[in-house]
Amino acid sequence: MTEFVAAAKASGAELRLRQLTKAFGAAKAVDQISLDVPPGAFVSLLGPSGSGKTTTLNLIAGFLAPDSGDILLDQRSIADVPPHKRNIGMVFQSYSLFPHMTVADNVGFPLRMRTRLSREQARRRIDEMLALVQLGHLGNRYPRQLSGGQQQRVAMARALVSHPRLLLMDEPLGALDKKLREQMQVEIKRIHRSVGTTVIYVTHDQTEALTMSDLVVVMHQARVAQVGTPRVLYEAPASLFVADFLGDSNLLAAKVTRADGDEIVVEIGSGETIRATRGTRAAPEGSRVVVLIRPEDMSVATTPERGDGHDALTGRVKDISYHGDTFKLDVAVGEEVLKVKVGREHGAGMERGRQVFLRWKSAAARVLPAAELSNDAVDGDGR
Amino acid sequence: MTALAQPPARLLVRGAAFSGSGLPTLLLLPCLIWISFFFLLPLGLMCWRSLASEGFSLETYSVLFTSPLYTKVMVTTVRTAAIATIFALLLAYPLAYALTISGGKLRGLILVFVLIPYWVDIIVRSFSWLILLGDNGMVNKALVGLGIVSAPLQLLYTPFSVLLAMVQILLPLTTVTLFGAMLRIDRTLMAAAKIHGANEWQAFRTVFFPLSLPGVYGAGLLVFVLALGFYVTPALLGSPRETMIAQTIMVEASQLLDWPQASAAGAVLLLITTSIAAVYNRYFSLDRLWGGPDR
Repeated sequence: MTEFVAAAKASGAELRLRQLTKAFGAAKAVDQISLDVPPGAFVSLLGPSGSGKTTTLNLIAGFLAPDSGDILLDQRSIADVPPHKRNIGMVFQSYSLFPHMTVADNVGFPLRMRTRLSREQARRRIDEMLALVQLGHLGNRYPRQLSGGQQQRVAMARALVSHPRLLLMDEPLGALDKKLREQMQVEIKRIHRSVGTTVIYVTHDQTEALTMSDLVVVMHQARVAQVGTPRVLYEAPASLFVADFLGDSNLLAAKVTRADGDEIVVEIGSGETIRATRGTRAAPEGSRVVVLIRPEDMSVATTPERGDGHDALTGRVKDISYHGDTFKLDVAVGEEVLKVKVGREHGAGMERGRQVFLRWKSAAARVLPAAELSNDAVDGDGR
Repeated sequence: MTALAQPPARLLVRGAAFSGSGLPTLLLLPCLIWISFFFLLPLGLMCWRSLASEGFSLETYSVLFTSPLYTKVMVTTVRTAAIATIFALLLAYPLAYALTISGGKLRGLILVFVLIPYWVDIIVRSFSWLILLGDNGMVNKALVGLGIVSAPLQLLYTPFSVLLAMVQILLPLTTVTLFGAMLRIDRTLMAAAKIHGANEWQAFRTVFFPLSLPGVYGAGLLVFVLALGFYVTPALLGSPRETMIAQTIMVEASQLLDWPQASAAGAVLLLITTSIAAVYNRYFSLDRLWGGPDR
């Protein structure tokens, strides 16, 4: 281990989960999860509470033993290795800094446990880490004398000081206010770029996952719902749950009336037909599906204009709210209420009760399998 | 009382209205009266009696601090209490730690075994040691029967028997106090230590143990103060040459009928115990131990 630590900069480790399963009593917290994390990637585990993301993290850390399945770190199984020998760094939700040690001693802790560095070498390493997280001047303070954001940085420094090849982060920004959280997101990305460690980042905040990650693993009911880059997940969700969990969405129940290659025509509740793009699964004629249209993909006009490659619906403004940079409108179309997000100049002239024409690129509407419609995925509280 | 039968919202409103007219003070009154009559008043009378037997004098106190008898008794008392405290802590610490890291049924089981002796009266527990340690007691019979010693050992009426019984009597309280303190230590700190390279023992030594020290001091103080005032145990199991302060006070009060002298000794004991509490509060506050108030 000493040779490894002596290396100037640790690169990231490759992590593979193989059919990992963990149950508490009868309830499966993690059910047959398989995942490939490439070296150096920033991967988020995203999901509502109880979806199994923290259990997965604790299995990787070694705080829990899997019932079955395997964890491979650089092709080597670590399922039977105790936590202190896994050479993993971890940032805890509540930071878990040692209250009886100074900041420098907290950061130096992994060095004292894992390496035989001389006092002088260790101090240089600690100073380096504190400089990396921009806390160089606070080494002699105690954790309780620091602000939440500063404690967060100390926790990062402690987790990274022994150059682990894998860094686990358990909702590290949950306790910070919005402004500081956004600042720390940028900060964590900067540190990730400079150390190159593989990061597994647990969060229930979809914005955080989308903005920070190379790959996002959406978890739902102890399983992986979908793995993909943030753009793929947002623009091409594979299931209703993912579509609904990430961002705002309009999900319309529909019936396929014509399926021709990738372009599909569906009939929605009001009896009107619209065009949509096929998702990952086949949607044969006559099948029940759900059509996803993101609120920001639609525009609102007071006069009808049906252009090429566009679809449109007529509705009535039910509600309107101002969000500074945008307006959010609820537009009643038949029985359905569609959410629409428009820029300031388009929203300014709108008022409740007014008849409007919704318009969107046909390619922006996506067909999703309707199978899950019955479960909690679409109750809108998943966020 | 009638307010209790009404919906919470009304209760709140009425409570708020009453607080202005001193309801909380009224509620405290029975307790205050009780404490005044049965605790503060006798205590005051005791202190008064120690000073004013035949006119006002500090005679009794000068006896306390000059007579060789009292010096010897005080030394014995403090020494016995200190040793008992240390052994109680040493034995209780692993027990409390086991309670802290165990969960569910196992914890409940250990706790029951810790608490059962606690519910048995001090006199009963002291008497059982009398039976165990006597010349014909179980311990001596076993030792002689096994041929380890030829004649029964003098176990009773020695400092050893007193300490043994005192530690046993103090153990449950020490354990429960330490357990309470250990429960307050954030367990994820141990996880943090482990993931950052500490094995079980290192995590305990570098994180858990230092964080448990305020609890150890607190339990130690509590137990030491209790041990200073032990009466039944040294009276039943101890040697007459090694008496503790409470026994001496008892002799002064009930046999020599020298109430002023007994009062003075009582007042000094009270002063010592309160001073210990005050000193502890000043120097071993939790904040200071965790690097708080040096800011």
